[in-house]
Amino acid sequence: MILHYKCPSCGSDMSFDADSGELSCQSCGRHENIANYPEELKTYTFSEDEAKEYHCENCGAVLMTAAETAATRCSFCGAGVVIADRLSGDLAPAMVIPFTISKEEAVAAFKKWCRKGVLTPRGFMTADRIKSITGLYVPFWLFDLNSRVQVNAVCTKVRTYSDSEYIYTETKFYDAYRDINLDYIKVPVDASEKMNDALMDKLEPFPYDQLKDFKTPYLAGFLAERYNYSDKELLSRAKDKISSYIDSYTRSTLSGYQTINYKSKDIQTTNVKSDYVLLPVWMVSYDYNRSEYIFAMNGQTGKVVGKPPVSKGKVAMWFSSIAAGSFLALKCVAFMMGGGFW
Amino acid sequence: MVRSRMFAQSFLSLFTALMIFLLLGITAAAADADAFDRDRYIYDFAELLTDQELSELQSLASGLGKERNTAFIIITLADSQGKDIVQYVEDFYDEQAPGFDQPHGNTAILAINMQERDVYLAGFKKAEEYLDSGRMDQIRNKITPALSDGQYFEAFSSFIQTSYDYMGYDPGVNPENLLFKWWFQLAVSLGLAGSIVGLMAYRLGGRVTVNARTYMDSNRSKVLSKQDRFIRQTVTRQRKPSNDSKGGGGGGGITGGGHSHSGSRGKF
Repeated sequence: MILHYKCPSCGSDMSFDADSGELSCQSCGRHENIANYPEELKTYTFSEDEAKEYHCENCGAVLMTAAETAATRCSFCGAGVVIADRLSGDLAPAMVIPFTISKEEAVAAFKKWCRKGVLTPRGFMTADRIKSITGLYVPFWLFDLNSRVQVNAVCTKVRTYSDSEYIYTETKFYDAYRDINLDYIKVPVDASEKMNDALMDKLEPFPYDQLKDFKTPYLAGFLAERYNYSDKELLSRAKDKISSYIDSYTRSTLSGYQTINYKSKDIQTTNVKSDYVLLPVWMVSYDYNRSEYIFAMNGQTGKVVGKPPVSKGKVAMWFSSIAAGSFLALKCVAFMMGGGFW
Repeated sequence: MVRSRMFAQSFLSLFTALMIFLLLGITAAAADADAFDRDRYIYDFAELLTDQELSELQSLASGLGKERNTAFIIITLADSQGKDIVQYVEDFYDEQAPGFDQPHGNTAILAINMQERDVYLAGFKKAEEYLDSGRMDQIRNKITPALSDGQYFEAFSSFIQTSYDYMGYDPGVNPENLLFKWWFQLAVSLGLAGSIVGLMAYRLGGRVTVNARTYMDSNRSKVLSKQDRFIRQTVTRQRKPSNDSKGGGGGGGITGGGHSHSGSRGKF
């Protein structure tokens, strides 16, 4: 089933407006509040074979979509359409963070970010070769995890003191035990096969206070994907993400000891809750020097991630000027301390 | 008439000869009165150096000495001549009155005695201030291995070179401070530049800005129970390093002529 939003006033296509957070009509300027929109996709089920091919509600053309596409624009008439069967039942997202950065703001923010690149080539800094910028709702699982940590460790406290003849080193050994409960809430893990995990991790944090109950109109005019990996498949990645946090917390409970030698470390992490959400990401594709660079921008905070090209000349310039500057500074310090300049 | 002319002639020649003799006598006397050559810096009485080494050291001492306004003097003795080496150096300064541009001037002396295998370094005037006993100890420690090996030329040129270097540092600072070494300064600046540029390149792709506290529910995350049981303790002891310095030392003093000096004495 294809969802398509027509303006009740003038009949034009409506799409989600990042500035107002409402469904808006570009022709007559009518705004519709999304929060009150009726939504019954969660209970809606489609038979497996119902649709292999979708037609645009607006112009009737065949929609060419990838298997995971949940929202797109009709390539013929440009109307924003939502493929409801890919967002229903198990595939129904619980929540969504809508875009607050519009396309124009995203382009401006990206250009600003490019200008700040201290090591990027001059030609890149002008940011005038943006090939495409796409607003994409990326599927994420938000995990609420509970970890029970039980550690046994032999720890030492070292003290030194001295009398007139000897320096004494006193080492006290302790058998330390800690039973720790750790709760991590809304740990995000991206569930899309296409998205680079490292890139998505750097986009965090997403402002969770902007989470809204999922309504399809939020997707109108943007691209959206359904998840490729279930929460069960991604649980191990979520555990990986918090394992360093657990380690540092455990370590902090043993502060006061100079050395810590773990004898046993038992970590039981269980998945308390996992919510399927769609998070807003602007994908920027950029042409520079005959190769394509992909950047991602957090659609809420405007944080940009992705590896820009590096100018060898600028690296050499920075390296040599820092080296020369600090060499000169050291020379001055030496001179002021009473050493000769050369 | 002819006779009287001849007499006058012979008188004139006699007078000239007398004058020449007198002149010679005066210069000879003057030379005698000031027999010490202030531009000679190497006194190799023990004959440890070849002629070529001698002239090389001489030109090194005069070249570097000019820049520091100091006479760098090296004395080698085959035997003590009944004098302690410190006494010898003090007497040498009193009697010969060396100095860069004036008698009893700025002088740094390295003296070795082959019989006693004594080495003594002394600094007078400017060299007393810039090459104090501490610095002289450092120089002596630096050249003693070469002296022990019999590499006198290397040791002597190292003495001149190092004394020259140390006089470039204000009195009171340690010239061997790592901060003063050009290679250390270079290494630090290259390392700094490398790490800063490396960090810049690393952060180019965006940083992870979440930390351990971002997703933690601090209300429910806590230590449920803990136990710290003392098992045992060990005590090791180590003797305090003693402060008295090893052999040598001696330091400076005042010559019989009333010239104070710095110094460092040792064996090789």
